[in-house]
Amino acid sequence: MALNILVVDDSSITRAMIIKTLKMTGLPLGEIHQASNGWEGLAQLEKQNIDLALVDINMPVMNGEEMIETLRSNPKWASLPVIVVSTEGSRTRIERFQRLDAKFVHKPFSPEVVCQTIEQITGQRYVSQPSDTEF
Amino acid sequence: MKLSNQSGDVVVTHALGSCLGVSVYDPQAHVGGILHVMMPVSSVNPDKAKLNPFMFVDTGLPAFFKKLYSLGAQKKRLIVKVAGGANLQNGNSDRFAIGKRNYISLKKVFWKNGVLIQAEDVGGDKARTMYLHIDSGRVRLTSAGREREL
Repeated sequence: MALNILVVDDSSITRAMIIKTLKMTGLPLGEIHQASNGWEGLAQLEKQNIDLALVDINMPVMNGEEMIETLRSNPKWASLPVIVVSTEGSRTRIERFQRLDAKFVHKPFSPEVVCQTIEQITGQRYVSQPSDTEF
Repeated sequence: MKLSNQSGDVVVTHALGSCLGVSVYDPQAHVGGILHVMMPVSSVNPDKAKLNPFMFVDTGLPAFFKKLYSLGAQKKRLIVKVAGGANLQNGNSDRFAIGKRNYISLKKVFWKNGVLIQAEDVGGDKARTMYLHIDSGRVRLTSAGREREL
């Protein structure tokens, strides 16, 4: 099953980096949608069929935490897998995101970390390892 | 990937930037070769990995070692040397850290298979060229106009 992913970050460069990293993971990607703040992110969720959201914290208009709180209060998105991608990451803030059922990935991140986190949060194994690795 | 059991041969791989050169030599069978891997994991492009497993660390190493065994090399005698894994971004950070990830992936595969690295020259910001002399197993590296034994 290909994953339709929403990337929410106020920096277009960071969004491009996240998308490039996603392409390097080997995950089966469907459509990738973008939004530059939480408000736009919620609008994209309304319009598109999204399987997973990657969300920055500090954004104008509506930040990542407000966006996640809003979507968790809506039964339609209450169980949507969400990964917070940010340079910030105080323990208390990470715990708040955990309570909102979101995973946390620190920037900068490698494709392996992103892939592993996506597999953890969706509970699916998307990327198969080569079967013949012994020699 | 190049292998040889001809004593006069020198196996060479040029322009190792973020790629890794893995030299493996059996001093008793006088069999050796160099694997030039470009990416850490094959999952980024399984179709390409099927066509050319030697491009990726996780598929390239098993295929390379098995080729060496088919020429008479034995695992317990192998001398493994590694070079490359640099960041050639001219002082900029290599956001995808391909060189570093290649090396981590290599260590993981070697650890899983009980293979020890005898010598290595990895990281930095300069490209390297690696030479393996099949008669002696000598490994030379050239980088930025300098030469050294590995």
